[in-house]
Amino acid sequence: MVDALAEARRTSKRFGAFLAVDVMDLVIARSEVVGLLGANGAGKTTLIRLLLGLLQPSGGTVRLFGAAPSVSTRRRVGYVPQTLGLYVDLTVAENWSFTAGAFRNVATAMPSGIAAWKHELVGALPLGAQRQVAFAVALSHRPELLVLDEPTSGVGPLGRARLWEEIRQAAERGAGVLVTTHNMEEAEECDRLIVMVDGRAVATGTATEIIGGRKVAEIHCADWSRAFSTLEAEGFAVQVRGEALRAAGQVEAIGAMLARAGLGATVASVRANLEEAFVAIVSEPAAV
Amino acid sequence: MWAMVAKEFRELRRDRRTVAMMIALPVVMLVVFGYAASFNVHSIPTVVVGPGARQVASSLHSPFDVVDVDPTAGPPTARSRLRDGQAVVAVVASWGRLLVLMDGTQLFSVETAEDVLAKMMPSGPAASPNRRAEVQILYDPKLTTSWVMVPGLAGLILVFIGTLITSLGVVRERQAGTLEQLAVMPFRAWEVIAGKIAPYLMVAAADLVLIVVVGMVVFHVPFRGNVATFALGAALFLLVTLGMGVLISTVSQNQGQAIQLAFMVVLPQVLLSGLIFPVTSMAAGVQWISFLLPLTYFIEISRGVMLKATPISALWGPLGVLALLAVVVLGLAVTRFRRDLAPSSRRTELRESSPESVAS
Amino acid sequence: MRWGLDAVHVRFGQRVALAGVTVPVDPARVTVVVGGDGAGKSTCLKVLVGLVQPEAGVVRRPSKGRIGFVPATAGIYVDLTVEENLEFSADAYRLSAAERRERGGEILERTGLAEARKRLGGQLSGGMQRKLAVGIALLHSPALLVLDEPTTGVDPVSRAELWRLISRAAAEGTAVAVATTYVNEAARATSVVLLEAGEALASGSPDAILRNVPGALGAARGASRPTPLSWRRGIEWRVWAPTGVLPGGVETVDPDFEDAVVVAALAGESRR
Repeated sequence: MVDALAEARRTSKRFGAFLAVDVMDLVIARSEVVGLLGANGAGKTTLIRLLLGLLQPSGGTVRLFGAAPSVSTRRRVGYVPQTLGLYVDLTVAENWSFTAGAFRNVATAMPSGIAAWKHELVGALPLGAQRQVAFAVALSHRPELLVLDEPTSGVGPLGRARLWEEIRQAAERGAGVLVTTHNMEEAEECDRLIVMVDGRAVATGTATEIIGGRKVAEIHCADWSRAFSTLEAEGFAVQVRGEALRAAGQVEAIGAMLARAGLGATVASVRANLEEAFVAIVSEPAAV
Repeated sequence: MWAMVAKEFRELRRDRRTVAMMIALPVVMLVVFGYAASFNVHSIPTVVVGPGARQVASSLHSPFDVVDVDPTAGPPTARSRLRDGQAVVAVVASWGRLLVLMDGTQLFSVETAEDVLAKMMPSGPAASPNRRAEVQILYDPKLTTSWVMVPGLAGLILVFIGTLITSLGVVRERQAGTLEQLAVMPFRAWEVIAGKIAPYLMVAAADLVLIVVVGMVVFHVPFRGNVATFALGAALFLLVTLGMGVLISTVSQNQGQAIQLAFMVVLPQVLLSGLIFPVTSMAAGVQWISFLLPLTYFIEISRGVMLKATPISALWGPLGVLALLAVVVLGLAVTRFRRDLAPSSRRTELRESSPESVAS
Repeated sequence: MRWGLDAVHVRFGQRVALAGVTVPVDPARVTVVVGGDGAGKSTCLKVLVGLVQPEAGVVRRPSKGRIGFVPATAGIYVDLTVEENLEFSADAYRLSAAERRERGGEILERTGLAEARKRLGGQLSGGMQRKLAVGIALLHSPALLVLDEPTTGVDPVSRAELWRLISRAAAEGTAVAVATTYVNEAARATSVVLLEAGEALASGSPDAILRNVPGALGAARGASRPTPLSWRRGIEWRVWAPTGVLPGGVETVDPDFEDAVVVAALAGESRR
């Protein structure tokens, strides 16, 4: 039996008539990075709050380190909310000592990566640096479980790669990591993904597994604007990628339609990317 | 828990506006209630006219402060001096009779004057006829407080709407990020500024009318003077307060900061403009502050026009000050606001293309 | 280039925000400026619409009435309904009554907000707010549409819909400029400018940028960083050798667009 750091079994949460989380199973084990992917209102935040013990489940159970979530188990969790959870009008050092005081571990030294900004006000640092500091602060008390809400939102590609390096290092040291994200690039960094829609997990697995065998049609056409308008008018959800168009649909049907409109185009079937798979999954009628 | 305390102190230290409030507020309160807040009147400007003026004047002592003695003038002059605010007490000394006129809008001065007079000239049967004084209280004979408060409150409402509400309205735009958008839309800067201020101007004007009407109907406050003069004073005063509101918004990033700043600007005006505590009662060391506050001048105008029918010729002073303040404050506010809407161009090798049509 | 920035320099006080940046924006094309926070993307767009004046360089833009701008922060009035927001835009751009009706209806349909037309801006979800902001900017059929990070923090479904709106505008002939931190959005563009610390590290079509990745790229596994010029991709490391020679045991891989962007950023860093 895998040693689960956090576990939700048939957990549900109801707010009045609204079912925010509808029977979810979730396990986070050591040294793995799990991504929670879903639209706003899908229930990601509620689920996290249930795991952290900030909310009580209406049904099912939630276990944090094998027991019900409590103040003592919360000590072993590092949480970085989307708004960073740092005080922007305090310096890095002051934020560090505040967390140290709260978690009562005075001894931890500030990692060299952020020590350079020790006396800078957090609010004065660029976003990438702020995120690094937030992450370091969350790690400062050596948590066994990390919960990160959109950890690299707004950060450029190099900054993102560096942040993910830290996340991976934490996982390698034994921590379990739960990440929520909107960003497909970030989703592909996770070991496995859970796609949430309306409080339920509608797909799980690696990015490749989630895409499965889904295909989309890729269209190359000299007069791309007319091709775009034609397909849109017929109700296809068309996306533009550089010089090509991509749409979900049968290659033959699309080819025929474009030919009828007098447009010379080559249409081929290609593998869907994660975003297209996500949109397709989310729009499908719920399969239990 | 100490971690929380330490953190909170550190954050507080960096929040300059809150620190200013924490330090400045007690100091202001101390100064005001120590030196300014007083209902005791130390000096009552007095004018003496009539044939026996010199004799009477020499017998008047503090708190009466004789500012003018004119034996050739009579009651009409005395009345007009009171009406124009040049004196609070006017004594008409004719043969055998003393007529003491008092400006009823200066409630505390009048009470003090009556007390002192009673001690100086007992008016019982023992008193000789030619030393008897007849006292007439003009404008507010019953010394009704509400009559004196309502014109002042009118000013207070204008300060509130003009400064606080306006600053919130403009800052909200900045907070929401729509100010940037406005700058890119085909508006000219003055259109945005005027369009932003106009609604508050209209609301304030409507509120002013409401207060005056309610005062007249419910509290029977008279409106004896020229409406046009009142309107002019109100308009100028509104421009000053609106300008302050916009100015506050240009130095605030969010509504919380705007409220703090507006509060620090409004509070002194409430306490030191003569709304509650008479300006003349303030110690000289702090009296000068009231002369910096626009509300002080508006109260002079509104009380004068409503209660005493003071003509515009006597009010050029306060009107002039308000006009000057309006130009300065509004000018500063608009200049700063404009910078957000239309960045100044610098002379560079910059070429903008003429409007081109899109080939579709 | 019809519109855009040409070798533009911008300075804020002592700080250089943009150093000789060129961003071409042409009708019926989507130009994406991609970079991290503080790279200068917003500044580029602000120069383009006239909110910021450059120190040097040339800026080409149509007149104010032909520009549609969506700022990074929503850009809608939360206390007005969807309809009222559109009304304000129609007033500002002086649309005739007929234009208003026709175009307004069209925009409501396209943004999927027809059902929500009486809802207050503040009651819309984040994705819907962004779509409204784009709708407001498109109402007057601008020649140039400029969007500052329109999809940051927006859920994937709304993001796809926002991009459809953007693509449709381009298909109808509008010139579109978009700033974003998402590399995969840059891959959708016809023209990309990669910005880092105020400098354009790479520019051109996505294919051109891919073709011009300098040096050699490899993949490696292991717990520790193989070389200083490596970064994480999932459980693997990507290794970049500017000289073209990869260290032993590292197999070559073809760079994808994200790799190209990181390489450009690293190259820019080592130059500085």
